[in-house]
Amino acid sequence: MTQDPLVRIDQITKTFGETVALENLTLDIARGEFVTFLGPSGCGKSTTLRILGGFEQPDSGRVILDGTDVTRQPPEKRHVNMVFQDYALFPHMTVRQNISFALELKGMDRAAIRARQDEIMDFLELGAYGDRYPGQLSGGQRQRVALARALAPDPALLLLDEPLAALDAKLRGQVQQELKSIQRRTHKTFFFVTHDQEEALTMSDRIVVMNDGRVEQDGTPEELYFHPTSRFVAEFIGETNLISGEMRGREGDAVVMDWFGQTLRGHASGTTPRPGETITASLRLEKLGFHNARPETGNAVQGRVVRKTFLGSRMAVDLAVEEAQGATLRAFVDAETGQAVGSDPVWLGWDSDSMAVLRD
Amino acid sequence: MIRGNRIFLSCAYWAFVLYVFVPLILMVMMGFKDSKFIGFPIRSWTLDWYSGVFADAEVLSTFGYSIAIAVLSTIASVVVGTWIAVLLERSRFKGWGVMFGLTVLPALVPGIISAIAFRIYARYLGIEPGMGAIIWAHAVHNVPFVVLVVMARLSTLPKSQIEAARDLGADPLVAFLRITLPYLVPAILGASIFCLLLSFDDFVRSFFLGGYDPTLPVLIFAKLKSGMSPEINAIATVALVLTAAIGIWAERFTRRANKDTN
Repeated sequence: MTQDPLVRIDQITKTFGETVALENLTLDIARGEFVTFLGPSGCGKSTTLRILGGFEQPDSGRVILDGTDVTRQPPEKRHVNMVFQDYALFPHMTVRQNISFALELKGMDRAAIRARQDEIMDFLELGAYGDRYPGQLSGGQRQRVALARALAPDPALLLLDEPLAALDAKLRGQVQQELKSIQRRTHKTFFFVTHDQEEALTMSDRIVVMNDGRVEQDGTPEELYFHPTSRFVAEFIGETNLISGEMRGREGDAVVMDWFGQTLRGHASGTTPRPGETITASLRLEKLGFHNARPETGNAVQGRVVRKTFLGSRMAVDLAVEEAQGATLRAFVDAETGQAVGSDPVWLGWDSDSMAVLRD
Repeated sequence: MIRGNRIFLSCAYWAFVLYVFVPLILMVMMGFKDSKFIGFPIRSWTLDWYSGVFADAEVLSTFGYSIAIAVLSTIASVVVGTWIAVLLERSRFKGWGVMFGLTVLPALVPGIISAIAFRIYARYLGIEPGMGAIIWAHAVHNVPFVVLVVMARLSTLPKSQIEAARDLGADPLVAFLRITLPYLVPAILGASIFCLLLSFDDFVRSFFLGGYDPTLPVLIFAKLKSGMSPEINAIATVALVLTAAIGIWAERFTRRANKDTN
């Protein structure tokens, strides 16, 4: 293992006509990492993937793969393989033939091809389907064949273009676990593209949130979830309370803000607001604790239950804070706690660390 | 009202079927008549006309000649037509519309006009009338049909198929040969059968560009000039059965092949 990254994306810009798909994107991908590019459609995530695969050429900037500049290399020359969104299995070839396509073109001899086919089919539990045609397989099986075909030539980097989008919800959850475990066992670098935040949180070592051709935030799933730096990320990933107020000043690391007359403390990681500015903070629903008396947490307000929504394992409770001009907060609590709260006001407390002040 | 409409439509349909098929049925029947004169009543039946056809060396060699022309002109049309289709479907360049129009034009020019034009052009180029000239004219006339059929099929090939092949190490040529071409097979086969039938059936171009050996339609025409005889009905019936069989088989084959790959 060397320290230099497997992939270096160096100041890439790509435009389609008037539309800027990528603006000055710079990013390193480490060996063995499961990186997910997450964002709404048109955010530039697919363009990045296609540039890495060699299907698009950037207007400017470079792609360095394993120390070599591959920016102008055609796809067939790159040590990169891709799992396509529609799988793109060759309909006139059997599963075995699909898998051996790349191996034959590499000039491997028959015995070696056979051995590699068996190995990869065994690994992905496709042994029984070798002689079937793609048209005779289910969606999940096709997905695995696509993965087997892309892994067969042993690529340095595997690109995955929303490969789970076509699967039904139940199967998707199962395949997510499978994909993650395959990535662990092969120690391959996976570059995964999706618009599904839950998928990204489940599988990734690292998530790059894209918006409008730029990186919004780049970090581990936990960092993105609990410490979003921008409003976009806070809203795109999970559910959150957005609290807007006026910046008052600083107390050590904490940012002090005024929220309809209530003094709240949060932390700012991606932004340095000045006193007097209007700022927005993100407070995750499960970070709000219910208390009978004023708690010792950094922030405490009193709220009255407006509505309760039973969600099975937990309950969503909407509360109105009268001292803050009736502004509402939403909290996730376990079902028992949710049922226990009545019409009397309840104390809500949260740490200043769990409230992230955002950049707009 | 709707019911009346339906009855009217079905009557119209059956009238149309009769209109198309009665002449064919009469033609086939007369080939079995045991008399030199075509017409009713038919008093006795015979297979003599057929045995005569299969014993007639001239008729048989003409059959072979027509089939050879059909096969060779079809090969030429398919190669050129597929080539143009791939070129046109892959990209939209400047002058695309003009090129497409020029490609389709030979199918729209009236047969007699294109035949005369070919005749003049052939003489200008010093091409002797005969098999080569006929094949040339048939091939040019049939290219548009190949282009249209192959283009239609090509437009349904997902772009990701070619990208996947490239991704797995195929250069553009290998990707074409191993992915695009197999995908086009049903269309190419369908177009081939159509070209074969068009060529086999053609009279005008074969007549104007032919040398001393007649193709089958030209031979039938020559025989007609010396008077109608049930022998002609027999020849025509054999040709009819042959072409209909190939046509129906091809239709079923391409339909099945299309279903398999989609």
